[in-house]
Amino acid sequence: MTTISYSDSRYSIRPDFAEVHNRFWERLARPGAWWTGAERVAIAREARAAPGCALCRAAKAALSPAGVTGHHERVSDLPEAAVEAVHRIVTDAARLTRSWYRRRLDSGLTDGHYVEIVGIVAALASVDSFCRAMGLPLRPLPEPVAGMPSGYRPARLATDEGWVPMVPSENAGTPEADLWHSGRTDNVIRAMSLVPDAVRTLKDLSAVHNLANANVRKAGVNRSGALTRSQTELLAGRVSALNQCYY
Amino acid sequence: MLRESSRTHEESVDFAAVMDGDVESGVPHGAALVQFAEAVVAGSAADCEAARQALANTMGAEALVDAAGVISNFERMVRVADATGISIGPMSEEDLVLVRELGIDRFSA
Repeated sequence: MTTISYSDSRYSIRPDFAEVHNRFWERLARPGAWWTGAERVAIAREARAAPGCALCRAAKAALSPAGVTGHHERVSDLPEAAVEAVHRIVTDAARLTRSWYRRRLDSGLTDGHYVEIVGIVAALASVDSFCRAMGLPLRPLPEPVAGMPSGYRPARLATDEGWVPMVPSENAGTPEADLWHSGRTDNVIRAMSLVPDAVRTLKDLSAVHNLANANVRKAGVNRSGALTRSQTELLAGRVSALNQCYY
Repeated sequence: MLRESSRTHEESVDFAAVMDGDVESGVPHGAALVQFAEAVVAGSAADCEAARQALANTMGAEALVDAAGVISNFERMVRVADATGISIGPMSEEDLVLVRELGIDRFSA
């Protein structure tokens, strides 16, 4: 198993960063709900390749990405619909639309396959962006673990607050009760709950990178002594604005 | 949450700094933090190195690592939000005014 270490950093990095990134690496390598371990690692490889894809660069520069046609510079055998999803989420997420999402489904992805892609790409963005911020090379991706996807799909789903089905906010008494306190969560936490393990990864990463989700709405809570909450929120707001994210 | 945090801690913050990195936020060491965020999200490796050193020199290594953690946290969260088309939910009139004043409404929801 490939293990992440930050011992090569010239700055002292809290050990919980390597620990949580290793937990994600272990989950990434194993079969998920809809993709095998090999496919999940291939999704991560595609995510890393996307910024260098000529089609993605042309689409990003265009007034409308829909007007740019061609083939992605792929590095895997994933289906074309998956490659398109991975590359666009990495390179131009702010301009994704519901109709683009529906075309991915029409192209053969299921909603479960799509949400699992979102979870992998987003979690990898945290690990890779952290390395970039600290001036470290990207960590080698893990070796895939053999096995078949579980096909798990929560029994109760709603399409009330986004393009993708989500576990209802009231989740008490369900297998998804651990994802959030029933009736009290933000949509960004619910967003990937069609694939509950994607939310578990998100929670795990957030608790180390920022705050435990239960504390995000508590303005007086701070994670560490090094940054004030206002400094943290200034960073959060600026990163969101640079990514042109309305949410 | 920047507004809520500044209220809780009775700090005077110019929220326009979120949209325009050249605006002085009023947050202590805000300029160095914003410079670091901009370098990580959109800058070159050289920009990152310069911003990293500047932040480490002004706030120390622990703050640098925490800032790297926060920036990379939101590199994840924005992709989750944008790729799933979630709604932001009901907003107060005060929220709506702030969204208009800062120009956040030019981003697609």
